Amino acid sequence: MKSHSASPHFGCESRRSEMAMIPHTIETSIPRAAHCGPLRCLALAATVLTLTVLATSTFRGQEKTTPLSKVERLNRAPVNKEVLRVQLPRPMVAKLPNGLTLLLLEDHKLPTVTFIMWIRPGQLADPSDLPGLASFTADMLREGTERRSSFAIAGEADSLGATLGANARFGASYTVVNAAGLVDSAPQLLDLLSDIVLRPAFPPAEVARYKQREIAVLEQRLANPVFLGQRAFRQVLYGDGPLAMASPTRDSIARVTPEDLKRFHAQHYRPGNTILGAIGDFKTGDMRGLIEKYFAAWSGASEPPISLATKRGEPEPTRITLVDRPGSVQTYIIGGTRGIRRTDPEYYGLQVMNQILGGGPQARLFLDLREEHGYTYGAYSNFNAEIYPGDWLAAAAVRTPVTDGSMTQLVYQFKRMSSEPAPQSELDDARHSIVASFALSLEQPARLLDNWMTVQYYGLPADYWDQYADRIAGVDTAAVQAAARKFVDLAHMQWICVGDRRQIQETLAKYGPVTVVDAEGKAEK
Amino acid sequence: MKFAKIWLSISIASVLVLFLSAGSGSADNGVKLPKLDLRGTRLDNGLRVILVPDHSAPVYAIDVSYNVGSRNELPGHTGFAHLFEHMMLEGSANVGKGEHFILVLNNGGNMNGTTSEDRTIYFEELPKNQLDLGLYLEADRMRSLNVTQANLDNQRNAVEEERRQGVDNQPYGRAELDLDSLSYDNFAYKHSTIGSMADLEAASVTDVADFFHTYYAPNNAVLTLVGDFDPDEVMVKVRKYFASVPAQSAPPKVDLREEPHYGERRESIFDPLARLPRLDIAYHVPPGNTAENYAMQELAIALAQGQSSRLYQQLVKEKELASNISIVTDARMGTGQMYIRATPRPGVSLADLEKGVDDEIAAVAKDGITAEELAKAKMQLLRRFIDRRRTVLGTAQLLGEYAVKFDDPELINTTPDKENAVTIDQVKRAAKAYLLRDQRSVVTTEPAQAAPNAAREAP
Repeated sequence: MKSHSASPHFGCESRRSEMAMIPHTIETSIPRAAHCGPLRCLALAATVLTLTVLATSTFRGQEKTTPLSKVERLNRAPVNKEVLRVQLPRPMVAKLPNGLTLLLLEDHKLPTVTFIMWIRPGQLADPSDLPGLASFTADMLREGTERRSSFAIAGEADSLGATLGANARFGASYTVVNAAGLVDSAPQLLDLLSDIVLRPAFPPAEVARYKQREIAVLEQRLANPVFLGQRAFRQVLYGDGPLAMASPTRDSIARVTPEDLKRFHAQHYRPGNTILGAIGDFKTGDMRGLIEKYFAAWSGASEPPISLATKRGEPEPTRITLVDRPGSVQTYIIGGTRGIRRTDPEYYGLQVMNQILGGGPQARLFLDLREEHGYTYGAYSNFNAEIYPGDWLAAAAVRTPVTDGSMTQLVYQFKRMSSEPAPQSELDDARHSIVASFALSLEQPARLLDNWMTVQYYGLPADYWDQYADRIAGVDTAAVQAAARKFVDLAHMQWICVGDRRQIQETLAKYGPVTVVDAEGKAEK
Repeated sequence: MKFAKIWLSISIASVLVLFLSAGSGSADNGVKLPKLDLRGTRLDNGLRVILVPDHSAPVYAIDVSYNVGSRNELPGHTGFAHLFEHMMLEGSANVGKGEHFILVLNNGGNMNGTTSEDRTIYFEELPKNQLDLGLYLEADRMRSLNVTQANLDNQRNAVEEERRQGVDNQPYGRAELDLDSLSYDNFAYKHSTIGSMADLEAASVTDVADFFHTYYAPNNAVLTLVGDFDPDEVMVKVRKYFASVPAQSAPPKVDLREEPHYGERRESIFDPLARLPRLDIAYHVPPGNTAENYAMQELAIALAQGQSSRLYQQLVKEKELASNISIVTDARMGTGQMYIRATPRPGVSLADLEKGVDDEIAAVAKDGITAEELAKAKMQLLRRFIDRRRTVLGTAQLLGEYAVKFDDPELINTTPDKENAVTIDQVKRAAKAYLLRDQRSVVTTEPAQAAPNAAREAP
């Protein structure tokens, strides 16, 4: 579920006193939310269930999947060989006369409702001289409308026990605005949601205060190794333009004006650019009427899809970017390449390959770098598929003295993945895992909604999730290896290492030409 | 001061008891939550079992909560409860090293384990057709964990990296550890759950084996299952897998009382990884599941949850002293804390920020909060509770926590009523009683130039 907090730097936070076996979320290890795969999808109570065995799969599981590791499979625990196949309940999809797409799903387990809006083109529309404009605009929606002050908005949301937020994540092709709360308060929630989306005022005094807070946020992020790695990775992968950015700059924060925000809002916040999804304890017909009441007056034609010219054409040869962070006791390593679009047919092969290599604690990277070698708390790989070719990457935070050993194991696992066919049992396990995890997704409504919004947003077929299990089952050894050759490509791997330069620069030179940058991204001699 | 009863002192042998509660999770805001029917029993070996059928999705969750946390650790053995948690993945008589991950994830499930000051939990969520798998995995490791030097060395490394990733390589990591060690005199809560590097290095196989026998016994655990199943069938399976795990003698009890302090405690840190200063303040609060703790929870929400909250409006928006501020309030078995954390706006001194916070605290200790603020806090708490209860896993974890920490799983149904019962007078009295300057501890952090090879791993 996406963050429903308007301001991630404020409110009740978890403390560091609770320790977990494996990282709670991949976010601490991987600089992004989960990829758009079936692990994100869910469905609901009244789902039709069928017990089937994946036609093409046998679950032998007898071979050791990671010969290097001391990991051991005794195969004595009772496992049901059947995959519990589930069908995701389909939403009602409608288009209002003003071009707004609606997606409505009923879920009656608890008396709540969640609204999510995707408004394109998000951060991809940032002007090159004002990085973060989409993000500033989204953040400022709550800070005053033509009808309500910032305080009134906050007071109303908090009094309903509601969450109301907006963000334009870097690298995402849409802005997300969401509101969630108790279903009895749906009219008030929609009133608030429509007010901040349709009529934000960007009051100059609030903009000035926001800029002060944003500067502090940026300074804090510059102390975070994961952020530094993410920023360098995008820079290396995309060169310039909005895709190469991971945050605003001091300059853009200083220069942005209320007029810039108004212009961005007027140009892009249009019903034709927007999907509004709702899930909760309501009747579909009633909810549609309620949404129409608050959003029918919204106007503005849809924009043509944004063009994404980047300077980089062919992938660049392997390079290591060392982000110097003096005093670091770990090196945060990213190795990755340019990925795919969400609609590419390679999606399934990449999904299964990634599952085998780094898709969880059962995958090769974790079992090798953590369970076998004890170099890290966790090592994972992940991919991001968007309207543009996203990325594939592996990442791990390792203690400084084993930077060399960790690089060696990553290179070894990358080479093995791309040069050796995956054993049948590992392929079976990966496909089994992806399909079986659908059942768990059935009880988290916001994520189910997100799944259907993905279908709608990327123009995937309406029966996409019905076909998904078969598509995954159809991924064979050749498809996995093709994906590995293309994406786990050591000749074009872009490495980012965030750590203490004095301790790791010499070591890293063994793995490719090293460029050193400081926390500000400036090249060091 | 009231402390949680140790549930194992009650012995009900193998009787399926249906807990029924009068409350139905309602609040006077009119919101009715579906009441959960808990089926509770205790096996002859002392294992407490809680079953809750929930047919809303074809899945189930299993949670094993052990009544042990870092509070049980002794000097020289810090970080042990959590290090041990990692050992629970290293294999047992019938499950290979790492096979736990493989079996759960490859069958569509999810799993983890976590350790806090008070308890250690293990959990899996799986499709409903893998009911035996979850039970088998948890029973096998409760019965027959493999404790070897190689496994210990390996997980020690993983835990040390967890500490580096979460604490030593993060700005303000030291501030968070130092605050607890400053504000507690009782060792149980004074030391960190992650532990010191020196103690982690010194842990031996014998220590691990002793710990296992003392704390990882059925009579020191609660097994909770929530999901799409028939409870009678599950009970048969629970007996099949767990009934023969032998009981152990009861672990030693820990005194969690914190004696009153005499004066405010302060520490300042120069942090080479920080780029901005930070203010961390902790006030002691009463144990969880007491009227006073509920009052302090609601006070904290009124102060800092949501952008209409007092501290946000006053310090972030109006006076522009802070760029962010947050409050977390414990609900521990013993004396907990209310943690206030704030970052000054660039150009504002820590002293000015602290003065701003102090003024707000003084106002609330004198006058309490308004009826409107309290109503708002209650709605926010209810929302938070509903979100935690939404999934079978969230429900199972809450039940395990309520059972281990407060000996009252029925809190799953009564918590909203208890939260709703808090009055404006209770909040005012609690604020006056606990927001005491001479009982608080303050850690200030300022950025420091990184020293070459900065030794940040000191215990």
